[in-house]
Amino acid sequence: MNTPSALPRQPGPGRSEGSGQDLAGLLTRVARGDHAAFEAVYDRLAGPVYGLVRKVLRDPAQSEEVAQEVLLEVWRTASRFDAARGSAIAWVMTIAHRRAVDRVRSETAAALREKKVLPGPASGDDVAELVETALDRQRVRRCLGTLTPLQAESIKLAYYGGYTHTQVAELLGVALGTVKTRIRDGMIRMRDCMEVTW
Amino acid sequence: MSVQRHELHLMTGSYALDALSCTQRAEFEKHLARCEPCADEVRGLREAAARLAVATAIEPPREMRARVLATAPLTRQLPPGRIPHALAGRRGGRQPARPGSTRRIRPSLTGAAAAILALAAAVTFLFVTQVTTRHELQQSQAGSRAIGAVLAAPDARIETLPASVGGSVTVVLSARQHEAVVTTADVPAPVGTRVYQLWVMSPAGARSAGLLPASHAGSTSPVLAVGVAPGDRLGITVEPAGGTAQPTTTPVVVMPVPATD
Repeated sequence: MNTPSALPRQPGPGRSEGSGQDLAGLLTRVARGDHAAFEAVYDRLAGPVYGLVRKVLRDPAQSEEVAQEVLLEVWRTASRFDAARGSAIAWVMTIAHRRAVDRVRSETAAALREKKVLPGPASGDDVAELVETALDRQRVRRCLGTLTPLQAESIKLAYYGGYTHTQVAELLGVALGTVKTRIRDGMIRMRDCMEVTW
Repeated sequence: MSVQRHELHLMTGSYALDALSCTQRAEFEKHLARCEPCADEVRGLREAAARLAVATAIEPPREMRARVLATAPLTRQLPPGRIPHALAGRRGGRQPARPGSTRRIRPSLTGAAAAILALAAAVTFLFVTQVTTRHELQQSQAGSRAIGAVLAAPDARIETLPASVGGSVTVVLSARQHEAVVTTADVPAPVGTRVYQLWVMSPAGARSAGLLPASHAGSTSPVLAVGVAPGDRLGITVEPAGGTAQPTTTPVVVMPVPATD
């Protein structure tokens, strides 16, 4: 049988002109139950969704579960996407990050209830980064480099670490108010540095 | 009050990065609904956060694709609604449920349990729309569990083929479990009282795997075929009402069952 699962992946979401627009168009079709459009959305977003969830959760099995939930959530709620309120990729990544963080916090809460332990350190990065997103990685690295160390660290702990800003403040040994403003100022600088248009 | 509002405004960054606790998030979302500049800022910061996200892209597990694509058609989609987009990422039970809200599953249910529940709910829903008696319902619930097991099988493979009468047929096959789940999309209804019947065809002959239910909004709910062996073929034929013991017409679609890898 020709298994579509064996086909090579399509290029990721990327930087090519208009790709964000295409994604928004695809989501509109997905909202109408268009399977082919959903397949295209999957091929564009499975890498970033899985990558982000895995970055936050670390555990491959859990990450796969959550990434699946996210992608199905995209299918289920595509009618709620509104291009006037932001890009398609931001909409999907918001769902993905929220789900990953919800999972981390419920896990942490459960672990704390049972054993009073905190999540362990990061596991090794034995994962294949996607070639298509090399430019995105480069740009993010460059822009993070323009921030103050405290801004960059706060953002990384909050977004990639899935910590609340209260936890970030504790980890960095600074006041919550400081972290709050560093995260905001840092993200504003990231936004400007990356000239956010897709 | 103004101090407090000013402090809330400083939370745009933390909000865009999901770094607020549940209560803070709820509080901020209330503020956000009334503060247009905050909503604008959140929008921009979310776009920036999405860049951070895309930079983490890695190759996802291969099996995930088949699973997600097979489950989607069994998952009911939300109708267009008016939930403000800025807040629609995940609402997660942090706010009091709005009366008449269409959300059914609490997203705080986590893990495989949630995924399977959601899937089972979707499958059950499809079944329930088709059955009327308690007996049928019990049978359909058992059926939905079996179907869920095929979709969740680590070796599940999916294939979609065009039907000769139009539309397409999707098969999710677990070679290890010797089971397949068949759904159709946009296949025209058979003429009059005729029905579509699913067959497992082996060199020894054809065995009925049941009738396809009438389609809803273009797709039929899943039918499970058991005892599917490598080398068999799955076929769908048009038959008189109630089905027949042996196929009497040329199949509208035939899918070979591949050898296990």
